[in-house]
Amino acid sequence: MIEVRNLNQTFYTAKGPLKVLMDINLDIPKGDFVAVIGRSGAGKSTFLRTLNGLLIPTTGSVVVNGTDITRLPKRELQKYRRTVGFIFQQFNLVNRLSTLDNVLHGRLGYLPTWRGLLGLYGEADYRIARQQLERVDLAAKENARVDSLSGGQQQRVAIARAMAQQPTLMLADEPAANLDPVLSEEVMRTLRRFNEQDGVTVVINIHALDLALKYAKRIVAFKRGRVVYDGSPEQLSEEVVDDLYERKEMLA
Amino acid sequence: MTELLLYTFFGMLLAVLAGLAKGSMRRWVIGAGLALLVVFAAFPFSRARGFLSRDTIDPTLLALVPLFPLLLMIPLGVLLALVLARRGGQAAGLGGVLGGTAALVAAGWWYVQPVQIAKLYPVEGLIELLLALGVAGSVALLSFSRPKQRVPILIGAVVAGVLAFLWFHAPQGGGAYLPKSLGYYKLMLPTPPGAEQQIVDAYNRALPELNAIRKELGQDELKPIQSLADLQGAIPQQASSEGYRLVQPATTQYGAFAAFFLAGLMLGAGLMQLRNASLQEPDDFRAGILIALVASFLIPAFDATEFDLNKLVVGWPFLQQFADKAWPPLLADPAAERYPLQEVLSQIAVTVQMALVGTFLAAVFAMPLSFLAARNVTSGTPLMRSVFYVTRLFLNVLRGVPTLIIALILVAAVGLGPFAGVMAIAIHSLTELGKLYSEAIENADKGPVEALESTGASGVNVVRWAILPQVLPLFVSYTVYNFEINFRSSLVLGLVGAGGIGYFINEKMASGQYDQMIVGVIAIVIVVNIIDFASSWLRSRLV
Repeated sequence: MIEVRNLNQTFYTAKGPLKVLMDINLDIPKGDFVAVIGRSGAGKSTFLRTLNGLLIPTTGSVVVNGTDITRLPKRELQKYRRTVGFIFQQFNLVNRLSTLDNVLHGRLGYLPTWRGLLGLYGEADYRIARQQLERVDLAAKENARVDSLSGGQQQRVAIARAMAQQPTLMLADEPAANLDPVLSEEVMRTLRRFNEQDGVTVVINIHALDLALKYAKRIVAFKRGRVVYDGSPEQLSEEVVDDLYERKEMLA
Repeated sequence: MTELLLYTFFGMLLAVLAGLAKGSMRRWVIGAGLALLVVFAAFPFSRARGFLSRDTIDPTLLALVPLFPLLLMIPLGVLLALVLARRGGQAAGLGGVLGGTAALVAAGWWYVQPVQIAKLYPVEGLIELLLALGVAGSVALLSFSRPKQRVPILIGAVVAGVLAFLWFHAPQGGGAYLPKSLGYYKLMLPTPPGAEQQIVDAYNRALPELNAIRKELGQDELKPIQSLADLQGAIPQQASSEGYRLVQPATTQYGAFAAFFLAGLMLGAGLMQLRNASLQEPDDFRAGILIALVASFLIPAFDATEFDLNKLVVGWPFLQQFADKAWPPLLADPAAERYPLQEVLSQIAVTVQMALVGTFLAAVFAMPLSFLAARNVTSGTPLMRSVFYVTRLFLNVLRGVPTLIIALILVAAVGLGPFAGVMAIAIHSLTELGKLYSEAIENADKGPVEALESTGASGVNVVRWAILPQVLPLFVSYTVYNFEINFRSSLVLGLVGAGGIGYFINEKMASGQYDQMIVGVIAIVIVVNIIDFASSWLRSRLV
């Protein structure tokens, strides 16, 4: 489904060029559940944002279902993005709006611009949005302002928003980092449910190694902008993990 | 002389008070010393008169040095004080005492000199040099933010400075626009002995011809003079145009008061530090520079604004008369069919309505404009970028024009009345709100923007759903605050004929009906307070 080829990303900062991604080559088949692990600054977030076109890579291509999404014109990119859900560490909800309004935002990509501006969602959009709210157990809260919800509930709203897009690919950038362990598990279970029931491909950045090993079908490890491990959770050896997090050096 | 001594005393008093409060004394020695240098070089001290009043020149102490070299004691004393201040302790105190005393002695000695004749020597190129230094300095400032390009920027600064000098100095260059500035700084040179007698002789020689003209005009004949003193402070026209001036040391200008005050301050601070050597702090030089800067801007400003409490004393009878006439307020006089209270209330209503309509119009137009003036919304294409810069420029330029000026122009265009006021308020508020709104947009949380972009929503929908909900409460809050300001400015707009209560007050003031005018004033005080209160209550609920 996704073919990442020779991906390079260089940011030009005041201190000079900063190579964030170097020669990434990955194939992600449909229905996969990939956990991307690595230390902060290893390039995980950049990689994820490149997959849905929020960032344009310096060189290389990301081919999704036969089209290279890194070189799409604006309209086409928007059409692609509506099939890709994105879940953020900070939830990134619009605080002053209701839960339902926030979930409906997931449908904006399917509306003509003028209808979106006026908030004229169709019957089907409302049905999908309410359905997703139900799946994350927040149907009762649909009229509450999201800033009145707890952190776990807010992240579920964000997941419902992403699912309302009816995506074929779900990207999640540290979705559990701001939540306590119980809620983290809950978020991961929700993602696994979507992966298994709806066949949505999931790519997730995650710090917590135990969660990654428990839920993901496949682990991809990044170190300083390069892929250093790509395989099943079971085969991920202690040595790789130690090297990844540079634990030996930290202890020394 | 007593006035100058009074200023000296004030300076010393300030130092003593600051010293009793255990403030650093060295800082005052340094500050007063540096300020004294500014006074010495730039503030007018005495008066030098020519034939006409426009020939009058007020020379600085530096300009008087050729006439009276003893004045050099002032900068030398200050320099000595600064050197000693670096050593601190008793030495700094001694420096203050020496510097202050030197300044007092030199300036006082000059003050008691007799009236004398001097020849002007304009210093050519000085103003041009200052301008060039200013230009070069501003260019050189750029090098701080770009350390890599320091060398080319500094070279550019020098070139710009030289070009500025040449342009301003050229015959038809910049100096032609500011003719006074060329040779503005004039030194006073001593005249050779006998110069005064020559002037007197020349005057007497020309007298018969002058008297013939005066006779035809029916004016009194003038008598020959023995010395210039007979002309009572003026000098003959010919001598004046030849560059001679009569210098009057005792006709003091504001620089004299500044000099004596600062010298007193220096002396007082020095004495206090001699008594208690620990009255100093590590950052005294920075503080001293700050003191000197404030003094050198503040003192000329007081002079330029003709600050004189005596005027209030002279004007006191009017204030008394005003109060007598204004109280009690005349609310209504049925016998004469005059109803000021009723008129005031309807005019206040008009004023509030002007502010309402003006604020509404401004808000309606500022809302879309502010999105074009927000950096984060217009980052997409080069076209949007240029729209951003144009909008910003438009708002910034227009914001520089005060409401009152817009109203003046509009009154001339559309006639007297509230419409001109409403339009003036609307135009000015548009620029204020446009800036405030666009800053709110720029400060909006970027997270929701990124989130909506990744749902595939189009650009305008991202703005509509991710930014607008965030900034709308702020918009409302700013608009309410703007209404509060607009109400106050619409009061003033009446004064230029743009309707409302201000117009009423202006009219009653001009016709001397103070008892009616005071009704309007009281009404304004009440309504301003009500609106302030309501506005801050409303805003506290919003954000």
